[in-house]
Amino acid sequence: MTLLSLILIPFVGSVLAAFLPLRGREAWLAGGVALYGLIATIYLYLGAGNGGVERYEAEWLPQLGLDFVLRMDGLAWLFAVLVQGIGVLVVLYARYYMSPKDPVPRFFSFLLAFMGSMLGVVLSGNLIQLVVFWELTSLTSFLLIGYWHHRIDARRGARMALTVTAAGGLCLLAGVLILGSIVGSYDLEAVLAAGDRVRAHHAYLPALILIALGALTKSAQFPFHFWLPHAMAAPTPVSAYLHSATMVKAGVFLLIRLWPVLSGTPEWHWIIGGAGVITLLIGSFNAIFQADIKGLLAYSTISHLGIITALLGIGTPLAVVAAIFHVLNHATFKASLFMAAGIVDHETGSRDMRVLRGLYRVLPITGTLAIVASAAMAGVPLLNGFISKEMFFAETLGVGGPDEWWMSTAAIAMGMFSVAYALRFIGIFVGRLSEELPKQPQEPPRWMRFPVEVLVLLCLVVGIIPGRSVGPFLSDAVVSVLGEATPAYNLAVWHGFNMPLLMSMVALLGGIVLYSWLQLRFELRNRSGVPVRFELNGGHIYDSIMLRMSTGAGALMRHIGTQRLQPQLLLIIVMMMALPVALVRPLPGLDTMRLTDVDLSLAALWLIGGGCAIGAAWQAKYHRLAALILVGGTGIITSMTFLWLSAPDLALTQLMVETVTTVLILLGLRWLPPRIALEDMQARVPRRVRLRRGRDLIVALVGGAAMAAISFVVLSGTPSERIGDFFVLHALSEGGGSNVVNVLLVDFRGFDTFGEITVLSIVALTVYALLRRFRPAPESIEIPAQRSNGIDPAVKQTPTEQAEHGYLMVPGVYVRFLLPFIVLVAVYFFMRGHNLPGGGFVAGLIFAVAFIVQYMVAGTAWVESHLRLRPHKWMAWGLVTAALTGIGAWLFGHPFLTSHTAHLRLPLLGDVHLPSAFFFDLGVFLVVVGATMLILVALAHQSIRSHRQLPGDGRLAPERDIR
Amino acid sequence: MNLVIALAIGVLFGSGIWLVLRPRTFQVIIGLLLMSYAVNLFIFIMGRLKVDRPPLTLGDGLPDPTALTDPLPQALVLTAIVIGFATTALYLVMMIGSRGVTGTDHVDGRESEE
Amino acid sequence: MLGWLDHLILVPVLLPLLAGAVLIPINETRHRLKFAINAMSVLGLLVTALLLVQLVDGGHWSEDIGVYLAANWLAPFGIVLLVDRLAAMMLLLAAVIATATLLYSMVRWSRIGVHFHSLFQFLLMGVNGAFLTHDLFNLFVFFEVMLAASYGLLLHGYNVNRIRAGLQYIAVNLVASLVFLIGVALIYAATGTLNMSDLAARVAALGAEDLALLKIGMAVLVIAFLVKGAMWPLGFWLPTAYASASPPVAAMLVLMTKVGVYVIMRVWLLVFSDGGGEATGFGSEFLLWGGLATVAFGAVGMLASQEQGRLAGYAAIVSSGTLLAVVGYGQASLITAGLFYLLSSTLAVAAFMLLIELVDRVRSPAAAMLAVTMEAFEFEENPAQPVGKGIPAALAFLGLSFAASTLIIAGLPPLSGFVAKFGLFHALLHPQAGDAVAAPAWAFMALVLVSGLIAIIAMMRFGVRTFWASGAVAPPRLQFMEAAPVTLLLFLCVALTVQAGPIFGFLERTSADLHQRAQYVDRVLSSPAVSMGAGEAGR
Repeated sequence: MTLLSLILIPFVGSVLAAFLPLRGREAWLAGGVALYGLIATIYLYLGAGNGGVERYEAEWLPQLGLDFVLRMDGLAWLFAVLVQGIGVLVVLYARYYMSPKDPVPRFFSFLLAFMGSMLGVVLSGNLIQLVVFWELTSLTSFLLIGYWHHRIDARRGARMALTVTAAGGLCLLAGVLILGSIVGSYDLEAVLAAGDRVRAHHAYLPALILIALGALTKSAQFPFHFWLPHAMAAPTPVSAYLHSATMVKAGVFLLIRLWPVLSGTPEWHWIIGGAGVITLLIGSFNAIFQADIKGLLAYSTISHLGIITALLGIGTPLAVVAAIFHVLNHATFKASLFMAAGIVDHETGSRDMRVLRGLYRVLPITGTLAIVASAAMAGVPLLNGFISKEMFFAETLGVGGPDEWWMSTAAIAMGMFSVAYALRFIGIFVGRLSEELPKQPQEPPRWMRFPVEVLVLLCLVVGIIPGRSVGPFLSDAVVSVLGEATPAYNLAVWHGFNMPLLMSMVALLGGIVLYSWLQLRFELRNRSGVPVRFELNGGHIYDSIMLRMSTGAGALMRHIGTQRLQPQLLLIIVMMMALPVALVRPLPGLDTMRLTDVDLSLAALWLIGGGCAIGAAWQAKYHRLAALILVGGTGIITSMTFLWLSAPDLALTQLMVETVTTVLILLGLRWLPPRIALEDMQARVPRRVRLRRGRDLIVALVGGAAMAAISFVVLSGTPSERIGDFFVLHALSEGGGSNVVNVLLVDFRGFDTFGEITVLSIVALTVYALLRRFRPAPESIEIPAQRSNGIDPAVKQTPTEQAEHGYLMVPGVYVRFLLPFIVLVAVYFFMRGHNLPGGGFVAGLIFAVAFIVQYMVAGTAWVESHLRLRPHKWMAWGLVTAALTGIGAWLFGHPFLTSHTAHLRLPLLGDVHLPSAFFFDLGVFLVVVGATMLILVALAHQSIRSHRQLPGDGRLAPERDIR
Repeated sequence: MNLVIALAIGVLFGSGIWLVLRPRTFQVIIGLLLMSYAVNLFIFIMGRLKVDRPPLTLGDGLPDPTALTDPLPQALVLTAIVIGFATTALYLVMMIGSRGVTGTDHVDGRESEE
Repeated sequence: MLGWLDHLILVPVLLPLLAGAVLIPINETRHRLKFAINAMSVLGLLVTALLLVQLVDGGHWSEDIGVYLAANWLAPFGIVLLVDRLAAMMLLLAAVIATATLLYSMVRWSRIGVHFHSLFQFLLMGVNGAFLTHDLFNLFVFFEVMLAASYGLLLHGYNVNRIRAGLQYIAVNLVASLVFLIGVALIYAATGTLNMSDLAARVAALGAEDLALLKIGMAVLVIAFLVKGAMWPLGFWLPTAYASASPPVAAMLVLMTKVGVYVIMRVWLLVFSDGGGEATGFGSEFLLWGGLATVAFGAVGMLASQEQGRLAGYAAIVSSGTLLAVVGYGQASLITAGLFYLLSSTLAVAAFMLLIELVDRVRSPAAAMLAVTMEAFEFEENPAQPVGKGIPAALAFLGLSFAASTLIIAGLPPLSGFVAKFGLFHALLHPQAGDAVAAPAWAFMALVLVSGLIAIIAMMRFGVRTFWASGAVAPPRLQFMEAAPVTLLLFLCVALTVQAGPIFGFLERTSADLHQRAQYVDRVLSSPAVSMGAGEAGR
């Protein structure tokens, strides 16, 4: 439970800090949280100390073998103390560091969230869960680095850090998954126990590489080290916390944690060790030439992490001891150094070592602390840095046998470099105070310095009496990692005169020499940046990669994607033909076609039909009307074919639909731009266009041929046993109608019809909504030329006048006279629908046509002044009627749409069978009428409207809206 | 008969494809009309082709399914026709709407740069 | 005899129809009334969906499959509605998204233009119908209902971009519908049936000729589905449509894209799963590789997109690509994870769709500048004033929600996106007992990981531009009703994460069902009609 609270409380605190109005008391909250954590952890030592393990489990996703497990052993305990101990100090420090102008609540909120995630990483007893918290540290550190997000460098640093570490995190996830699949469990203990199995497995190398990628990116190891210096844009407390003690330590923590599983192979040796050595050299060398204090510290951090990584790479048990020990030491002195740098920055307003001089005079105490700390960093005896570095030297000797010296040489070089940059850092305190400081420095408030004092004190204590100070805790950690393999070691300042001691001395003296030489040769104190041209600038590489990725993606999209319509349609059609050919084996074969079974009259019919179709295809661009007429021709032929092949209902419907569609398109034509074929333009069609047309032509031909072929195959095949017959058998007996098709529509498959009328209504509504806001193109507003030539007497009359007493009077009267008869016909078709061709749909269309004709002849204004149609109501009622008819069946305990037949005895008509399907069909009728009328009327209104187009006002509704 | 119908469908569909791939909205709408004729016929022929055997069970006694055409495809075609009608109308309105707003009758609502 | 609970299967279709119909004649000036009716109906759908989930998971029906014979005709002759765990789950998802979008639309979008509410209801009717129907042609009809409504809604709030996008969207879908019809016709010609289970029952016994026809029909049909599901190269319409639609509509489109995937999942697993004789495993390779290609395409698109709308569109493409690949891969445990992924990604992308508009209120001209070109000039940009005190609540809300949806879409810890991704990987690395991890599995993992990384990079770019680089002077104004739906959706994602265990349990049962073809065939073809008295053999 205490274990759980360690993780939970920081996150809770983070939320509180963000949203409670604490008025600058967030620091106390944060400090309290961290302090609680520290105390709780120390208390947990009872369980986790000397070889014990604390565990907390909660079931989460058992199906995937994933539970929430917290696990604290020696190593975890040590890191937990580190995280929270330094956490407390950092909070205290930040309390004084942050300026009142900054949004402090957010700072502490993020800080606590980060602390929680970091603890999560350390305490996870389950690899997947570890990855979860791992990514969380990346995210929270992103927020912390970008805290001053009005600054461009902060944004860049944050993005860089997140991109690199998150990418690493994904690799880590993959690696851990592979590891889990090798072991068969994600539980840490199971994995730790299965070391030999893992190393033997063929998937070991990929797993190792992926996990290494995760760890190396996080710990800023070569070649991923470049993000850390950019992350220095963060407020100094953040750097002191994340980049000394916690975030960057996560990587090495993971390597230590998995050391028993992954280490001990040449791959491990070369990948981890190699990365470490290169990093420690690059880092320490670069550190010398930084002008910015934090830059120097960042690179020195990189090199020290390099040391740790290299130690782990070496792979001897003693090296692991050294690694863990150095983690502690580095955390203490580096955190204090960052804080000292922060104080200098805070007091003088500058971090530029070319400006800063002789600060010792004004900041004596801080100066002393900083000098001691940097001495520890340089590995001066009697300080903690010295001991672990000495252990490192000792280990390097062992690498590759007694006569292999390269590792030791590298180590000594690193030692010299680190002495040099330590000296450069100390340089800011000596000499005489420089004048051009932005602020007049003075010692910081007591408690701002306190954390530094504590840490420096620790450096001394550990440096002088290592065995009695950290000894036991260190050994706990080591045991928890190495188990039986724990070597005998002796933490002591003095091991007598031996090789490592000699190496340290060489490094110290060499470092001093190097520094003074650089000073004379390059006046080091005034330079920023490495003297030798140094190509490998990770930052710029990163930027250019990012830029290339986005622009490259854009370029790629132009090839693998499109936003134009034609290519998309082409793709659909091509895919439709290609996919069957690609997937289906064997394709059905065509059987021999004999000309004898060509029905001549049908052939003649289709000669016309096909001709019309091709003609339409030919003419559609320049002669729209012609094309429309031709298509109409094809439609007629189609409907005749239906009639011929014994589908009267289809024929009727097709005919009516044909009529209405034609009228619709005619109404639409008026709004299209004039397009006159220019002969000379035809002459020089650009080559690309001709190619495209050629391609389309081929596609069209192939498509047509394919359709023809497949139709022929179907027609010549022997039909299988189908459900169609059932309907013929049961239409009359149970559907109560002899027109099987109609019974199908209103009964067997009434549910389809149901959806179908919905579609009609939806479209009508959409059309209406669209046309209410319709703006005609300016040039198509005035009366077209055809209608405005002087000879035509009708020009001066409104449509109404034409119909009342103009030359349209006769037809006008005639159609008006016709109206009731057409209605009668509609009713007739409706009534007989159930037994003979006809039905609600056809009837509806006929009925609609009756009114369309009125509109066409007498004009919109006249019609609407004489009769009020309410298409919306028609549709609504239609839908409701149909639905209620269906629901009615429920009352009889039957499913939706079940048809019933009522037998009535009416005075005049005698016996009447009234099937419920009748009402359903009525609904269909109503919807069809309503929808069709609404569409047509909405279109018709445009022509009235556009004449009284007010300038600038797009959304004209007619005075009398269609209701 | 089969051959004729098959060819007819092919011709309609082919010219439909050609038109649908054209850049002008009007061409596309005509193309859609032609294609939908083709598809309607196609569905229709999935039943057996019979001349003068409409699926009307007028005579009393149990009707003989094999004597009549398969009514199901006809029902499907009817639904398809209606839906086709609706969507055509919609596209038509889109066509003139887009012409009104964008000033062009190109299918992309803007003249292509090529 | 069928009880009232059986009628519940029909409600998801019937309720929106009636609501939509009633809404038609009501005058547009009466916003409150219209909204109220719409809301009542959506609420009803939510309740119904919850009940249905209870019923299918609570052993109310035999085999946990509810069958409804519309018009009381026996399968395969009549049209059958079928609800199983999958269908119920999708219904619930649809209802949830509908609730969120409706709330969101209350403030502004439902008031501009006409008939928003009717179209909204009809869209729901179409979607639900597509989830429920078990008949191929009826599926076509409901697709058309859904599409017709979506045309109307896409054009809602008429402007040039919407007209352009609509013109394209409609044309593409009209052609796709014709393709759909051709496919259905061929399938009927080959098998003589339209009922999915009947199809599954007959497929094993088909002769060579008919089998070939059936396969051709399916291959054609799947094109129509893939256009909806936006598989590369058939999904180019999607980003344009998403980017130009009004936010609530865009959120509904996210749902519609999943319908295509759902149908493929249903039909493929039913007809071509083991026991399909010759046809077993037909086209799964194609789905797998096509899906992976789609993921890659979507990832590239995210990286290239310059506006958030398109970004979200490509995110949706990635997610449906992943799902298609999952269906193609076919392994039961993978489908379990895939379904979890479906839930999580749909909710997240929908939430993101709603967020975009709100987030745009924060963006200053600097942020509105094309993100990619900004990349180049990053260095010259001059620092703005130090930021103000505290977190202004609106900004904090937007920031948090943006971050959350980013995490889920990119599949980063700790939210549901990560759980889903982990589930997928776990399934890929643990194939059925005995066989080794297949080569496609590695490709799959790599692609998903990389696309996740790209998602982070792309969305972080927008996030930084918006919340950090814009120097947001005044915090944006948010109405509660705009913030609530986003919160709801994201909260559900959190719930998914916390309750991952039980939910995975449900999904495991779901995908187990899907692989029991016999069970479906048996239930559908043998479910009795309500007797109407003597002499009615057909019922």
